[in-house]
Amino acid sequence: MPKSIKSSIPHVLLMLYLIAILFPFLFVIFSSFKQDNNEIALNPFGLPTTWEFNNYVEAWVNAKIGTYFWNSLYISVLSSACTIVLGAMFAFAVTRMRHRRWSLFLYSLILAGMLIPNNALMLPIYLLVRKMGILDTHLALIVPYVANAIPFTIIILAAFMRSLPGEIEEAAVMDGLRAPGIFAKIVIPLTVPAIVTVFIVNFLGNWNEFLLANYFLSTDKLRTLPVGMVQFRDQYQMNYAQMSAGIVYSVVPVLVIYAILQEKIIEGVTAGGVKG
Amino acid sequence: MNTSLRSPLIYTLFVMPALILFVMFFLYPIGSSLYYSLTSWNGVSAEPRFVGLSNYVKALTDERFWISTRNNGFFIGFSVLIQVPLIVLFSLLIANVKRLKGLYKTAVFLPSIMSTAVIGILWGFIYEPNIGLLNKILHVLGIDPIYWLSDNRFAMLSILVTNAWQWTGFYIVMVLAAILAIPRDLDEAAAIDGATAVQRAMRITLPLIRPIISVVIMLSIAGAMKAADIVIVMTKGGPAGSTEVLATYMIKYAITNFKYGYGNTIAVLIFALTLVLTAVYQLLVVRRSEKVEY
Repeated sequence: MPKSIKSSIPHVLLMLYLIAILFPFLFVIFSSFKQDNNEIALNPFGLPTTWEFNNYVEAWVNAKIGTYFWNSLYISVLSSACTIVLGAMFAFAVTRMRHRRWSLFLYSLILAGMLIPNNALMLPIYLLVRKMGILDTHLALIVPYVANAIPFTIIILAAFMRSLPGEIEEAAVMDGLRAPGIFAKIVIPLTVPAIVTVFIVNFLGNWNEFLLANYFLSTDKLRTLPVGMVQFRDQYQMNYAQMSAGIVYSVVPVLVIYAILQEKIIEGVTAGGVKG
Repeated sequence: MNTSLRSPLIYTLFVMPALILFVMFFLYPIGSSLYYSLTSWNGVSAEPRFVGLSNYVKALTDERFWISTRNNGFFIGFSVLIQVPLIVLFSLLIANVKRLKGLYKTAVFLPSIMSTAVIGILWGFIYEPNIGLLNKILHVLGIDPIYWLSDNRFAMLSILVTNAWQWTGFYIVMVLAAILAIPRDLDEAAAIDGATAVQRAMRITLPLIRPIISVVIMLSIAGAMKAADIVIVMTKGGPAGSTEVLATYMIKYAITNFKYGYGNTIAVLIFALTLVLTAVYQLLVVRRSEKVEY
C-alpha cells in the first residue's frame, strides 16, 4: 500500500465516526425546520425547502415545551446549588477536623455511596418521598437529586480543599476568624474552580434525569423537559417536525454549556465515573 | 494546618445536613429494600405481610425475570465484545493523529452528556419505519423497510446500537487520557528501532493501558445493569417483553402493578447481581494483570 493511503486510513475512520455522531443531530435540526412529515419523508437528507420557524413556536407554546423547559431549568439550578452548599460544608468539615478517625469514617461512608447502583434504590425513595408528603411536587425531585449528587460532590470538593495551602487559614485564625468565617471568606472563594466543575456536572445530570422525573410527578405542568418530550411524542402522534424542534430545545442548553466549559465537563464527568 | 475546625459543635453543624440526606436516601433505602423484599405488599394498604424468601423463589422461577436478566446480559455482551474493541481502536487512532485531535475528542464525547431520554426519542425518529433516516438509507440501497423497534428480532439490537452511540465516546475520552499519559520516549525509542505504528500500538500502548480498559469494562457492566430509561423511552420493554431489562421489570412491578414487595426483591437482585459480576471480574481478570509501571 502506498504510504499516503496508509497514513490517511485513521482520518477516514475517524471522519466516518464523526459523521455517525453528528449526522443524527443534523437530521433532527433540518427536520425541525421542515413543513410536515410529508416533507421529511420526501426529502429526508436535504435542507428544508422553506425554513419553517413555526414548529418552534408551536412546540414551545402548544406542546408546552416552554413550561417543561423552565421546570427543568429551575429544578436543575436549585438542586445543584443546594448540593454545592451542603457538599462544601461537609467537605470543609472532614478536611479541617481534628479527629482523624471520625473524619476518615464519615468520608469513607460517603465514598461508599458512589458504589451503590442508584436506580436499585428508586422504590424505597419513592416511598420515602410519598411519606414526606412531597410526591407530585417539585421537591420530590429536588430533594433526591441533592442527595444523589452528594457523594460525587463531596469527593471532588474534599480533594480540592485538601490541596489548598494552609497558611492563609492559619493567618486568619491568628486574626481571630472562627470556623464559619474561614469557610465563607477563605475556603469557599479559593474552591471556586472545583465548585464550577461540580455544579456543571450536577446540573447536566439533573437536566437529563428521566426515571425519577417520570414516576414521581403526575401533574403535567410540573413535568421536566425529558419527560415532557416523551409525553409529547406519545400524545401528538408523530408530528415529527415539531418533535424535532422539541429535541433541539432540550439539547441546546447542554450544547451551549459544553461549548463554553468542555474541558471542565470532561474532567468532572470522567472523575465521577459513569452517569447514565 | 487542617485543624482550623476545633469545636465539635461547629463540626457537627457542618456535616449534619449532608449526612442526614445521605442516611435518608442511601442507607435507609438499602435497609428498606431488603426488608420489603421479604414481604408481600401493594405499597399502599396498611400492613405488609412477611413472606420470607418466597419472593426470591418466585423471581428465580419467573420466566420474565430471566428474559430481563438475559437482556441485561445482551447489554453487557454488546458493550464488552463490540464496544470495548471499538473504544480501544478509536482511542489509539485519535491519540496518533496529528491534526484535528481536539475536534475528534470534543465531538465523540458530546452524546454522553445528552439526556438518554432525548437520545431515545431522537433515535426512535431515526428508526421510524416510514420516514426515519435508516429505512430511507435502506431504500436507496433497494432494501425493504424494517420495523426496527416493533419487530422483536430487531428491537433489542436497535436499543443496543443507540446505547453504544451514546456512551462509546465517553469511554474513548477516558482511554485517550490514559494513552496520552504514557511517556513519549517509550514510543519514540521503539519507532527509532523500526517498529511500525501497529506494532507499537500492540506491544507498547495496549499493555500499558490494560488497567484503564479493565475500568472501562467494569463501568460498562455497572452501566448495563442499570439500563432503564433508554428502554422505557424507546420500546417500553416491548414488543412482547423482548427488550425488558431488570430495572424496567422492577419499575413495572412496583409502581405500575403495585407489587411493591416483589419489586424490591428484583431491586435487591439487581444490586446483588451487579456486586457479584464486578467481584468475579475483579478476581478473574484484574488480579491477574499485574500493576503497570513506567
